[in-house]
Amino acid sequence: MTEKITQFPGTPLREADFEGGKILFRHDRMKAEYAWDTGIAIGRYLAALKEGYLLGGYCATCRKTVIPPRTVCEWCFRPMEAFVPLEDTGTVNTYSLCYVTWDVKRIKEPEIPAVIEIDGASPLHGILHKLGEVEQEAVHVGMRVQAVWKPAEEREGAITDILYFKPIEGGAK
Amino acid sequence: MSLLKRDPQAPPAWRGDLPVSSRYTFGLAGERFFRALKDEGVIYGSHCPRCEVTYVPARIFCERCMAELDDWRDVGTRGEVHTFTLLFADLNGGLMDEPELVAFVRIEDGGLVHRLGEVDPEEVYIGMPVEAVLKPKEEREGSITDLAYFKPI
Repeated sequence: MTEKITQFPGTPLREADFEGGKILFRHDRMKAEYAWDTGIAIGRYLAALKEGYLLGGYCATCRKTVIPPRTVCEWCFRPMEAFVPLEDTGTVNTYSLCYVTWDVKRIKEPEIPAVIEIDGASPLHGILHKLGEVEQEAVHVGMRVQAVWKPAEEREGAITDILYFKPIEGGAK
Repeated sequence: MSLLKRDPQAPPAWRGDLPVSSRYTFGLAGERFFRALKDEGVIYGSHCPRCEVTYVPARIFCERCMAELDDWRDVGTRGEVHTFTLLFADLNGGLMDEPELVAFVRIEDGGLVHRLGEVDPEEVYIGMPVEAVLKPKEEREGSITDLAYFKPI
């Protein structure tokens, strides 16, 4: 609001107006289902997650190992040489303390999303995941972490087959 | 396995559902229109004396001269079929067991899109006089479906 404009035109409504029946309304939910083709590389990556390991892709020309794997190297545009299993440990490259959920509800205990450089992948190559079993004050860039997996029978071939990464002792391999 | 072959064990597609929902309020005129339909069971139109037009459903401004309309009138429950269609597909594009008759029912200078009922599709014609069938008062909730359908007179 400004000095001149103290009130917007229109009819302000509160949640109670809807719940109390003061106003008529229509609630609708769009049917918005989708199916995203995982493709060759991500398909393998998800299958590997179900098996309980992380899969990368190796380019023999660039001598680079990336995660998640692709079929084509994005630096030299040549086909990748191979899919390679990687460690489930890594190093925190960057992180954030997030006080809102995905649909922007406030939460008291922050989620800690982090980019984790995976051991076995080239430097600065990693994935985005969450950190757990850690005090928020203790999180730091360079922290060593390891994946905490769901039990094998609950894994379904999704990135959520890893529950979170927890801190571990020891340097990079 | 070749790097260019799919792993038959791999999930071929990632499936999801976008939670998109909306809450629509009917506005000043809509609120009054549907409130009257719900509580009194009447269809309101609004009359512009200058343009000699009666809008159905009622609105708060004349879209011809932009004048504010305060002459709200009960326009009764009768109208005539302006145009109609026989629908075989449901909202998802699937085939319906029973086709549905949908018509634009002209009332005064406006009208409503609604279902036709108690009528054989073969017998519907343009200009057919029809009458609204309202749901019982306790079932009405302030929506266009408070009118069950239009039936021939």
